Amino acid sequence: MASLGLIVGLTRREIRNRFNGTLSGGLWALLQPLLQLAIYSFVFVRIFNARVPEGSSIAYVPYLAVALWPWTAFSEAVVRASIVIQENAALIGKVAMPRQALVWASVGSSFIVHLAGFAAVVVVLWLLGQGVDPRGILPALLLYVPLFALAAGFAFLCAAMQVFVRDLAPLVTQLMPLLMFTAPIFYGSRQWPSNVQFLLHLNPYTTYAESFRALLLGMGAVDAGNVLVALAAAALVLFAGLWTFRRLDPHFEDFL
Amino acid sequence: MSDVLVRLQGLGKAYPKVHRGSDRIRALMRLLVRGVDKDRIEVLRDVSLEIRRGESLGLIGANGAGKSTLLKLISGVLTPTAGTVALNGEVGALLELGAGFHPDYSGRDNIALAAALHGITGAKLREFLPKIIEFADIGNYIDEPIKHYSSGMIVRLGFAVIATLKPDLLITDEVLAVGDESFQKKCIAWMQDYLDGGGTLILVSHSMYHVQKLCKQACWLRGGRIEMLGDVFDVTQAYLAWHERKSASDVAEPDRMHAGEFGVLSVALNGDDKKQVVLMNRGETLDVAMRLHSRDGRPPGVAVGIVRADGTAVYGVSAEMDGFHPMAIDPHEYECTLRFAELQLLPGSYVVRVHAMDTEGARIFDTLECGITVRGSSREFGFVQLPHRWLGGAEATS
Repeated sequence: MASLGLIVGLTRREIRNRFNGTLSGGLWALLQPLLQLAIYSFVFVRIFNARVPEGSSIAYVPYLAVALWPWTAFSEAVVRASIVIQENAALIGKVAMPRQALVWASVGSSFIVHLAGFAAVVVVLWLLGQGVDPRGILPALLLYVPLFALAAGFAFLCAAMQVFVRDLAPLVTQLMPLLMFTAPIFYGSRQWPSNVQFLLHLNPYTTYAESFRALLLGMGAVDAGNVLVALAAAALVLFAGLWTFRRLDPHFEDFL
Repeated sequence: MSDVLVRLQGLGKAYPKVHRGSDRIRALMRLLVRGVDKDRIEVLRDVSLEIRRGESLGLIGANGAGKSTLLKLISGVLTPTAGTVALNGEVGALLELGAGFHPDYSGRDNIALAAALHGITGAKLREFLPKIIEFADIGNYIDEPIKHYSSGMIVRLGFAVIATLKPDLLITDEVLAVGDESFQKKCIAWMQDYLDGGGTLILVSHSMYHVQKLCKQACWLRGGRIEMLGDVFDVTQAYLAWHERKSASDVAEPDRMHAGEFGVLSVALNGDDKKQVVLMNRGETLDVAMRLHSRDGRPPGVAVGIVRADGTAVYGVSAEMDGFHPMAIDPHEYECTLRFAELQLLPGSYVVRVHAMDTEGARIFDTLECGITVRGSSREFGFVQLPHRWLGGAEATS
């Protein structure tokens, strides 16, 4: 694929963009999540006195961290990518290029940056003896694949429609916290009232949060059924996103 | 070497009418459901042309005629609303200054990305990079961010990328105008070399000089349609003449002092007295035959002038200056003929003006105009060839 080189080039540029002008450069990618981790442990543990609800031996910070970092990658990828076509209007209007590459590169760079943060956090938690199971790291990374597909699907959908309806990106930005708080990230699934717990699984991220905790912290087992549904959902969303994007792609220039 | 590189068939482009936000949603829904959107403004209509490998086409036309839209359609930036674009090779397009360049990155980084946009990465890029930098010739600026560049340096960089990649078809949109003299020369030399080497070029320019120098064929777009397509000299002349007529008609016509004492009854150019533009070849003889009217029987004076289609005077003379009088064919009608033997007007469009004057040649009473078009191709400048000779050198041998 000729555009693979282009995607790599654009991704590199996107990542460099984030750290351009900073003294420490790429070091920020590792430093920032660790700082964030320190702040969370202060705010949630010292101030809110948060405890892991299921009563296991896991501390709250690793409990939060393994679910929050993948979420950050997902939500940032969708939010950033939803404006990527609009942002690159100048490029699209003057250079013939596969526009899909822009979306892939945007989603990819968000995932690369936050995957690096995730790895740093997991390794630090493991070194600190916070109950991280190193055998879970590889499957956890594999779980990023459907998460990436899901994010890419939403990103293609939003990026294409944003060209036509500019209200979409602000709406997506508003919807993300809603999704975050309706997924078991800051709490556990069992804390929802039992009669509406099934609603939790309408949130596409729920399965991911539960599975990351199961894999890395040994909290419960990975529900194979849920994972299969999540895989199917990711494939479906990616397909729908690509279909919409391809359908609207020839008309971008008219509406940008 | 005569295979068709670009074939445009019935090409049309229309932009959507989007005035309000609700229009955008409606357009989105129509596109998603049916894949078409019908509420549109046409900017290009039914353009069909073929460009063979090794040909060079100049695209000319007034602002807003659809030139850039056509280029964007060919390069694939825009999707046609009607018709098809069939391409049979790699296209390199320089549509706008610094398109695809990021202001915060160095020239080197931007070259890498521009090359990636053309599908050049990895080892191939490492091979191309020094050549591009050498062609751009902007010295140490290559490692400075582009935002510190002058517009000329950005053109150099953009052109250097294209020049090194050597696409099958090169499309440029009025880019040459920005570089300095020496870079322009370098670009033109490169383009000529590229054309000699079998390259194919589509050039948009308002400089007829560049178009005539680089292109063998030209296409004049007017109001989104092809007005004329053919040999570069024919098309550029027709286009310039149209411009001149347009700007001349913008200027208010001088008042005709038609008091009725003297008048021009008819003018025939080379025997043609229909009110049409007379075609002639350069160096041919032009006979201006005129019939004049005199109300009170006094012999009328007459003056003949040749002007460019825009009104610029080329030459004017009156019968009185030469001590000549028209011949009376009846008490109120006079006639005479003015002959320009071997008229050395350069190719282009001109107007012959015949003025009826009073006997003393002091006042103009009536004017009649006829158009002439001098055919042929020439790269000389001005209106008329002056007799000249080069001395102290050698004849070019070709």
